[in-house]
Amino acid sequence: MTALLELDGVGMSFGGLRAVDDLSFGVEEGQIVGLIGPNGAGKTTVFNLITGVYKPKAGIIRWQGIEITGAKPARVAGLGLRRTFQTIRLFSDMSVFENVRAGCHLAARQQWWQGLLSLPAQRREEAELTARTHEILRRLDLDSVADSPATSLSYGVQRRVELARTLAGQPKLIILDEPAAGLNESESAGLNETIYAIRETGVTILLVEHDMNVVMQVSDHIVVINFGRKIAEGDAASVRANPDVIEAYLGRDSDEEDV
Amino acid sequence: MGTFIQQLINGLTVGGIFALIALGYTMVYGVMRLINFAHGDLCILGAFIGLTTLTSAAGGGHPGAGLLLLAFVVSVIVIAVAGVALERIAYRPLRKADRLAAVVSALGASMMIENGIMLVWGPQVHVFPSNLLPATTWHLAGATISFVQVMIILASLVLMIALYLFVNHTRFGTAIRAAAIDQDAARLMGINVNRVIASVFIIGPALGAIGGLFIGIYYREAYFTMGWTYGLYAFIAAILGGIGNIPGAMLGGVLLGLFNAFAAGYVSSSWQDAITFGLLIVILLVRPTGLLGERVAEKV
Amino acid sequence: MRRAKLGTLIWAAGLALPFALDSSWVSVAAFFAIYAITALSEDIILGRAGIFDMGHAVYFGIGAYVTAILNTTLNIPILLTIPVAMLVAAGVGALLSAPLIRLRGDYLLVATIGFNAIFVLAMQNNPGGITGGSDGITGIGVPTLFGLQLESQSSMFWLDWVALGAVLLLMHNLDGCEFGRALRYLKQDELAASTLGVDARKVKTLAFALGAGLAGLAGTLFAVQLSTVSPSSFLFTESVTLFAIVIVGGQGSIPGVLFGTALMFVVPQIFRGLAEYRYFVFGIAMIAVMVLRPQGLLPRKRIAT
Repeated sequence: MTALLELDGVGMSFGGLRAVDDLSFGVEEGQIVGLIGPNGAGKTTVFNLITGVYKPKAGIIRWQGIEITGAKPARVAGLGLRRTFQTIRLFSDMSVFENVRAGCHLAARQQWWQGLLSLPAQRREEAELTARTHEILRRLDLDSVADSPATSLSYGVQRRVELARTLAGQPKLIILDEPAAGLNESESAGLNETIYAIRETGVTILLVEHDMNVVMQVSDHIVVINFGRKIAEGDAASVRANPDVIEAYLGRDSDEEDV
Repeated sequence: MGTFIQQLINGLTVGGIFALIALGYTMVYGVMRLINFAHGDLCILGAFIGLTTLTSAAGGGHPGAGLLLLAFVVSVIVIAVAGVALERIAYRPLRKADRLAAVVSALGASMMIENGIMLVWGPQVHVFPSNLLPATTWHLAGATISFVQVMIILASLVLMIALYLFVNHTRFGTAIRAAAIDQDAARLMGINVNRVIASVFIIGPALGAIGGLFIGIYYREAYFTMGWTYGLYAFIAAILGGIGNIPGAMLGGVLLGLFNAFAAGYVSSSWQDAITFGLLIVILLVRPTGLLGERVAEKV
Repeated sequence: MRRAKLGTLIWAAGLALPFALDSSWVSVAAFFAIYAITALSEDIILGRAGIFDMGHAVYFGIGAYVTAILNTTLNIPILLTIPVAMLVAAGVGALLSAPLIRLRGDYLLVATIGFNAIFVLAMQNNPGGITGGSDGITGIGVPTLFGLQLESQSSMFWLDWVALGAVLLLMHNLDGCEFGRALRYLKQDELAASTLGVDARKVKTLAFALGAGLAGLAGTLFAVQLSTVSPSSFLFTESVTLFAIVIVGGQGSIPGVLFGTALMFVVPQIFRGLAEYRYFVFGIAMIAVMVLRPQGLLPRKRIAT
């Protein structure tokens, strides 16, 4: 069986700095895969390479067996691969509803001229997508804040809005970049439920997380990287017992923000 | 050969002026990330103030070299004060606002100064007095070099060297460079960013006033819309060298001056400006950060 | 919805202007309609897509020149030149956008200034003897509709006013369609938008083509109104004015852009006696508005769901 997403010998450097080096791993359909590593290990860079924000200097990235190395972000999104951002990138001048509606962009089949003329087919589609947006807002318990400006909300709610926006695109795989960052304890506890609930709907998940509790609990499979290289891979128990992993974590302070 | 040297000298003269004015654009941009569209108009205002100083101090008589020096001093002081006032009134309140608000404010300031000049001095072309400077000329391999040209080239050179030394070898210069790289970090290091910004609005317009007066003396005329024309050229020079980069503005000014001079020698003058703007667009596309500007990676 | 109805009413009432005003004021109203279309078209690129276009007079000028050339040299009826003018302007917009959208922020702004300067110089230099050089082209005919000559100032006003109505309708629809929203996503955060599948290149190119095309329409109307075109009507300063209208009025706000247009083009007519103070006061007003209301005079309202 081909993996849903596969990295094969992927490498990236900035100036002289090797951020990602000969990295290979796969994500099977329906899995929850955790990508962990100490600060500056290159985790976010890996996400940026997968989603086309950066173009890898070496290696191949495959989606359902087809090479997508260096594809532009918009094309990657079109394949059914969506992401959140560590720093949360909501559209700040827009309401929660509008933000989540933005996730439906590719579901809109209307042409620009149909929109400008406000033709019946286009209006029907608008109504459908509005309904879809409301449904997702309900699913993620955001309907009460639908009309609030997105950035007026607490950090935890903003993360949920961003997640809702990703799900609105009906992705096959979502990449969550530190979904627990900035959450309080109860929000963080609720995150596990949310992640499971998303998987229930048939969405595969790849997540980067600092919060070890979250990663160890939810992941079916964990990939550990340090200095851009893979140092271990396996289930939670085997990774936890791996001496290289222990050394990588104990040797460094892991409380700072990842680059 | 004669034409070549002649164009070289002409180009260096105009290039020196461009560079002096370009420095004002680039220093402000470096620290504030703002295109000060009013800068060209401030420079030409400098020319008008210098001219008025000359004629009124001469009291109908013929202005001599001493009065010329006075004209420079008055013009530099007035324009530096105007620059600081401009920053206080039109730009400081918008530092945290949408970038476009500051752009429009700058355009408004430009319109205000340009039309203010017209209201005070009228729409007509003002002629600078002749024989302000010795009519001495030198001949070199068939080219004629005038005293004015030598003065402008030398003065521009001295001013640029002085600015370079100031920015790179004094504490305050270091503060300017630090604020240009990262205002917030500079503030945390105890640098008074407001003072830095005020200083670039003193130095830039002061150099610009000198550049503006040079334009008046060299072309022997001044009119109110001149700020746009020369401002735009100097601005292109700043972009050419890499906006925000001080040596870049100097290099860009000189190169643009030379380019214009040689283009005028070989291309019909009606297409010369079009070629200059075409060059600008090509540079922006090929190397948007200019010749000496550094590439800035966007952080995700 | 209420705002849209109110807008429709005001527009309909505007049709009666020729009965209420003398002919010189009708001509002011006609110019308002023409510049409003141009400013709204600039708003698509600048206010909605967030692309710093400071050379919009180019597309306005192309529309005017296409109509002038087709009408005076080939005797093509004015109304038939409109689609050609719009298509040529849109084509040039799309063509220029290819290099432009690779640039960011201020660099893009500078490049559009450059294109504007080149356009004016090109028209002045009379390439192929078709643009009439600095004097431009005179003797542009009047439009005929169903054999009726739209010769009077009032009939020309109605032509402009109907065109403005059509453009306003398009702008209104733009707010509620996917293309219009995609522009706003790109303006707010291009990276986030692209990870949602927004094809930045395609959307921005379309924005340029649409904005340029509508400016081309306004250009035709302008040429007809003046019955002459010359390079001086499309200088960089016109682009600056259009740019300022959008920012001063309110980006992405239809009432804001219309109000901005009225301030920049109609108010000066009221104070015609003080013509020489006009731009001086404008400059001060631009600074004052930005300092006091950086978001514009009538900023865009958040759309409730």
